[in-house]
Amino acid sequence: MSNELNHSVILREDKCIGCTSCLKVCPTEAIRVRDGKAKIISERCIDCGECISICPNHAKSAITDDLSLLKKFKYKIAIPSLTIYGQFPSNIGINQILASIKRIGFDEVVEGRLGADISICLIRDYLFKNTSAKLPMINSNCPAIIRLIQIRFPDLIPNIIDIETPIEITARITKTNVSKKTGLDIKDIGVFFITPCTARVTSIRHPIGIAESYVDGAISMRDVYGDIVRNLGDNNTSDLGERSKESLLWPIAGGQAAALGIENYLEVDGIHHVIKVLEELELGKLKDVDFIECSACTGGCIGGPLVIQNPFIAKNRIMKYVRRTDELQCTKEKLNDYIEMYKNGFIRLTEEILPKPVMMLDKDISKSIQKLELVTEILKNLPGLDCGICGSPTCRAFAEDIVNGENKKAICMIKTMNGFKTKKI
Amino acid sequence: MGNISYEFPVEKDDFERAGEASSKIKKILRQLGMDSGIIRRVAIGAYEAEMNLVIHSLGGTIRIDIDPKSIIITAEDKGPGIHDINLAMKEGYSTATEKIREMGFGAGMGLPNMKRCSDIFEIQSIVGKGTKIVMKMNLKDGD
Ligand SMILES: Nc1ncnc2c1ncn2[C@@H]1O[C@H](COP(=O)(O)OP(=O)(O)OP(=O)(O)O)[C@@H](O)[C@H]1O
Ligand code: SF4
Ligand SMILES: [Mg+2]
Repeated sequence: MSNELNHSVILREDKCIGCTSCLKVCPTEAIRVRDGKAKIISERCIDCGECISICPNHAKSAITDDLSLLKKFKYKIAIPSLTIYGQFPSNIGINQILASIKRIGFDEVVEGRLGADISICLIRDYLFKNTSAKLPMINSNCPAIIRLIQIRFPDLIPNIIDIETPIEITARITKTNVSKKTGLDIKDIGVFFITPCTARVTSIRHPIGIAESYVDGAISMRDVYGDIVRNLGDNNTSDLGERSKESLLWPIAGGQAAALGIENYLEVDGIHHVIKVLEELELGKLKDVDFIECSACTGGCIGGPLVIQNPFIAKNRIMKYVRRTDELQCTKEKLNDYIEMYKNGFIRLTEEILPKPVMMLDKDISKSIQKLELVTEILKNLPGLDCGICGSPTCRAFAEDIVNGENKKAICMIKTMNGFKTKKI
Repeated sequence: MGNISYEFPVEKDDFERAGEASSKIKKILRQLGMDSGIIRRVAIGAYEAEMNLVIHSLGGTIRIDIDPKSIIITAEDKGPGIHDINLAMKEGYSTATEKIREMGFGAGMGLPNMKRCSDIFEIQSIVGKGTKIVMKMNLKDGD
């Protein structure tokens, strides 16, 4: 299935009972139920993981990379997601977790805070005043949101901040440093992201805004959690080292805006809430906001589809660390280095983000007008309940599917039943 | 065949739903595969017309007629009409109240913007009866 190559989110047909639960939650109408099984329309899927979270039968799952991929590299680096700090009880120290991850088979573990701190300094102290992005700026680090914007809000592409995500920044700097330190070729150094996020998996394989990702693989946090627990040593020092408050807050909804110290910001999490806000923004109704922090997942990345811990509990744990850490200090020298890296394109989105007109009825305008006429005609005869029993998410989608020739056996049960009711016996 | 029309009612003072008609129009044009250039022009024109119906009129409709060569937006309301059209067309002229200005409207740019983004712009108004605005946008090469 082509979907498996292009997307992280997949369907396990054996488990799917065709219940239609996932139809409604999909923000891009990418799911249909046909012949009793859900199907994902590949070009529409933004890998947000909503369907994984809602499926009562665990039929939706995520393809991530396997630890066996490590063998391909001479030097292996793990970058655990910043959400990792919230996944263990408080009596287990951060350093203990990191040491355990290393024991799984890595030469080095580097925290994403490296990139987060750079990102925060750059946006806060430089980009905010010198941005080429349109105001309000939209954060660039949630790939599901970027893809949502490409499909549903192409006019908002210029609002996306053109800076790489903290993980990508971390990977780029670490790989370069390790190569210098060890003399190894960049190709022999493997960087693996331990991910809570399905959208990230896809964006590593098919990056948006950059030509190629420096991350070589994404390993599901769920897949390695057991290994981490098994390898935990007993050195549970509570030393927080140089970690900054800001980087700890980053994966929590609202954390970025707080870290950036922007007063006039809007934080929105949960993809359906994000859509509502972006609709307003597109209408030009949010002229008085400087920064919009969007997370596809409820609660931010700590609510990602592949986390272990309930996001509310994870937040509680991370906040305990936050209270004990210092604020990020960004010296002028450091900032200048970062600006240089940004300007020379090392940590900047250098490739254009293009709209994805996947909702288009036809490439030929005359044909698409005819198709739309037909859709409108069919819609007049449908009950408008958007019940999903036909296997399309809405009556409108049902009509579009018929017109596009996708749904050959289309039947509206409600209409058929009403037909019976009104028949005189 | 080959053309399609939609009509959206717009209520006076309905700020909650204001912008919905232009938003739907935009969605339709995207679905038709129109170029972003013409979508932007139509969206601006429709939005300004819709907002004028909400703010200044007693309510009316926004209509869109689409064919492969052009798009026509018609905004029609049931009053109160415009006394001096030439004055209303001037950049910066507005009768919006202080409250409306606080909401971010009333710069007096709506009508001039509508004219700017259309290829043909017509406005008729009869005091006591209503206003009718027709904007025609031609699909250009590349649109
Ligand atoms: N449909 C209408 N009915 C009655 N009066 C109108 C209508 N549309 C515009 N006007 C009058 O014309 C004036 C100018 O309209 P225009 O759209 O250019 O500016 P505005 O609506 O006042 O401000 P802006 O559009 O910049 O928010 C309005 O202030 C109003 O007095
Ligand atoms: S909110 Fe975070 S975890 Fe969820 S899709 Fe976006 S980047 Fe991934
Ligand atoms: Mg106006």
